[in-house]
Amino acid sequence: MENGLFGFLENNSIYIVMFIVLVVWFGIFIFVQNTDKRLKAIEKELEKKNQP
Amino acid sequence: MVWKIILFLLMTFVIIAGIAFPIVPQPSSWYEFPVIPGLEEKAKIIFFHVPTAWLAVIAFLMAMIYGIRYLRNKNLDEDAKSSAALQLGMVFAILAAITGSIWAKFTWGAFWHWDPRETSIFILLLIYGSLFALRSAIENEDKRARLSAVYSIIAFLTVPFFIFIMPRIMVGLHPGSANDDTSGPIVDFKMNANMQLIFYLSLIAFTILYWWMWKIRYKSIIISENIVKK
Repeated sequence: MENGLFGFLENNSIYIVMFIVLVVWFGIFIFVQNTDKRLKAIEKELEKKNQP
Repeated sequence: MVWKIILFLLMTFVIIAGIAFPIVPQPSSWYEFPVIPGLEEKAKIIFFHVPTAWLAVIAFLMAMIYGIRYLRNKNLDEDAKSSAALQLGMVFAILAAITGSIWAKFTWGAFWHWDPRETSIFILLLIYGSLFALRSAIENEDKRARLSAVYSIIAFLTVPFFIFIMPRIMVGLHPGSANDDTSGPIVDFKMNANMQLIFYLSLIAFTILYWWMWKIRYKSIIISENIVKK
């Protein structure tokens, strides 16, 4: 347990914080990206309805 | 979309650099930050706290610009853009106050003790908070948009004073205060070139993120208004 990546992370906990924040950022990014996509789809649908 | 990839990579880099790059007394390689007296490890807040305050200023500025544009052409879409910017500005102003408050507990010893910087953001929150009360109190769309535009112009006149002037000419603890000879104005902050570069990259990344959020917000406001009209 003392050696290797696990031991290194145990002694340098700031990198664990870094990975957690990175995961949070990935989640936020994917969420905003999906919201953007959905909004664009709604916009297109509204345009279609307004045309005829 | 190239800018989304740029945003993703920039923010990822800023998070890695801002959290994991070590602070050492004598920086010798490009990834080491200098020690700032009195702040030490807590100086890293600059990569995440300052951008939120910066975004609040940008958002309130955009609220004013779109308010002026509404007054000129009476297009309700401009009001939606102004309103979206106001909402995001409020969010980021609150985030700046909260992150600063947590940092203050461990740097100054109390979550809140009316430092000039804390007082000024509190007054700003009050000023812009009352704008939301104003908006929700008026049912007529045109009247609401007109009053909110005028209010956002007048409110923004106070922002440069409260964010940039008052906390710098008054004696206080926040880095950049009048008697703070170790740090100077926020942007000089005794950072080395690399720390400054990552700080500016962080500002750019947060600004792109803000712009994206703002676009989604105002589009959804316009769509919901269109649906209500039918």
